[in-house]
Amino acid sequence: MRSISLVFRRIAQSLLLVSTLSFGFQQANAQAPAGGAAPAASSGGGDAAAGAALFKQKCTSCHALDRQVVGPALKGINGKHSKEWLHKWIKNSQALVASGDAEAVKVFNEYNKTVMTPFPELSDADVDNILAYVEVGETAKPGGEAGAAAGTGAEGEAKKEGISNLMLGGLILIVVVALLVIVVLNRVIKTLDRIILQKQGVLPEGEVLEESTAVRFRRLAKNKKFVFFVIILLVALFGSLGWKAMWNTGVHTGYQPTQPIKYSHQLHAGTLKIDCQYCHFSAYKSKNAAIPSLNVCMNCHNYVTASDKYNGEISPEISKIYKALDYDPQTKKYGNNPKPIQWIRVHNLPDFAYFNHSQHVTVAGVRCQECHGPIQTMPEVYQYSPLTMKWCINCHRTREVNSKGNAYYDKVLKVHDQLKKGEKVTPAVLGGLECGKCHY
Amino acid sequence: MLVMNKLRILGITFFTAAVASVISSCGDNKEPGLEFARNMYDPIAYNYDSPNKNFANGQTAQIPPAGTAPVGYDKVMDDYPNTIEGYLAASANLRNPVARTTETLEQGKTLYLHMCSHCHGKTGQGDGSIIKLEKFPPPPSYSTGNSSRGGAMKDLTDGKIFHTITYGLNLMGPHRTQLSPTERWKIVMYVHELQKVQ
Repeated sequence: MRSISLVFRRIAQSLLLVSTLSFGFQQANAQAPAGGAAPAASSGGGDAAAGAALFKQKCTSCHALDRQVVGPALKGINGKHSKEWLHKWIKNSQALVASGDAEAVKVFNEYNKTVMTPFPELSDADVDNILAYVEVGETAKPGGEAGAAAGTGAEGEAKKEGISNLMLGGLILIVVVALLVIVVLNRVIKTLDRIILQKQGVLPEGEVLEESTAVRFRRLAKNKKFVFFVIILLVALFGSLGWKAMWNTGVHTGYQPTQPIKYSHQLHAGTLKIDCQYCHFSAYKSKNAAIPSLNVCMNCHNYVTASDKYNGEISPEISKIYKALDYDPQTKKYGNNPKPIQWIRVHNLPDFAYFNHSQHVTVAGVRCQECHGPIQTMPEVYQYSPLTMKWCINCHRTREVNSKGNAYYDKVLKVHDQLKKGEKVTPAVLGGLECGKCHY
Repeated sequence: MLVMNKLRILGITFFTAAVASVISSCGDNKEPGLEFARNMYDPIAYNYDSPNKNFANGQTAQIPPAGTAPVGYDKVMDDYPNTIEGYLAASANLRNPVARTTETLEQGKTLYLHMCSHCHGKTGQGDGSIIKLEKFPPPPSYSTGNSSRGGAMKDLTDGKIFHTITYGLNLMGPHRTQLSPTERWKIVMYVHELQKVQ
């Protein structure tokens, strides 16, 4: 029986070791670097190289080599039209159309009479260079540095998740093993005790180890150390569960739902540096910083399909936009059967708390990140701030009011002076007739 | 005995802490977590983004009936359709209704930086952050480029810039849903400044 305390000691020591190790893991994990190397890019030499630079500068606004953008795909254009015709068309397509050239009129009508910018500034040699480049095409695909970095970041995240789950499982396993060891050792001790007693002749030889479970359980219940151990376990369990429940009810910090499209703020806001308010354009003028409708996505994704990362296929995530809009990327036409994307709201403020984005963004000048955290580093958005009343109030207690150039505060001061003079002040003067004061 | 007690107490403390940390690290951040009185969270009225069984498509936000005009809308763009004729008519007839002051110009700059600069660049040279990363083809520079609809970018009129922001052009998408007419005019004002950049 004495040896149980020894067992306890052993367990305590191993747990101490495990928890120290796991904390160490966590630390090391948090610092796991996420970096990506960019593959080197190179392009061909000669005329085509000069043409590539010109092509990038003059043509890519409307043309790509292998797909229709605004104008047609240009790969193989040298085979379709004569060199002289191409020269004339590139320098001034409208003059060619106006001259009644059948080929030119056909192309013009085929692309909905979209006028191609005239390029009189290009010399014959320049046009030849461009055509040479179009013929040769891209010799080496330039790698997307940003994409690689973003990808590595996401992988790092996943790895981290995996290790912390492993750690959790390991700890639970250790607790279970510890309990098993206690039970087994207890039985071993009992058997040894009995053998000793039998050797000494205290117990008759014939009485064997047949004991009912109930008896065994009763004996275990009389074991003070075991009972103490169970009680400690239960206290720890219910204590921490209760603590967690008390503090976290209604607090969704860290909430990170899986969205229908894997939209990465890390890529769009972090790498590409698109301003938050480009997409959440109602944040500065309305109560809600609305989820942008898909036409905002299409401002870029009518062109950007990330196909270089998916072996020439359109990215499956971008395809979801096209599917929702019933948009055909080949013909660039919208169908009649659009279905909205059902994004999952991350920040759920209870309806009994009124919050207005424009008041905070425009009037107070609060930066998005002050409440939403380092959103430009999040591949998947999570709730950064607790959004509790304490959190709101702590900020309202410390932040200075930005009253400069704010007519509202001028009005308040004016009314204050009127009151001092004993004049009558109505709610209407203080904006009490504004619709939103009641119908918000 | 004292040493053993100490060890035991230490052991128990660590054990409790370990169990507590295991339990408290349980939890799924894919779910919002515990909630009390959920009915106080949900609005009685419908939010614009909440599901709504009363409409056939299940959405609260419906497309307004034809002819509906939102507050702050100016009907003027109906007279200037998204055609080359509409573009030229806008150029001939539209003048910036927003008075040019330091304040409105500053607002125009802010709006430009938020809405335009990631493509057109902070100084309008067509070298925004997306362009620099070669994710998107460059737009022409406001001061030195040429418009695909003819003429130099630096000569673009009020009406032409306004028409382009409203309907988009080539790879630029329409921005009329993101910007009110007044906001567009403020941006037009600031683009005129960028046309002078050397």
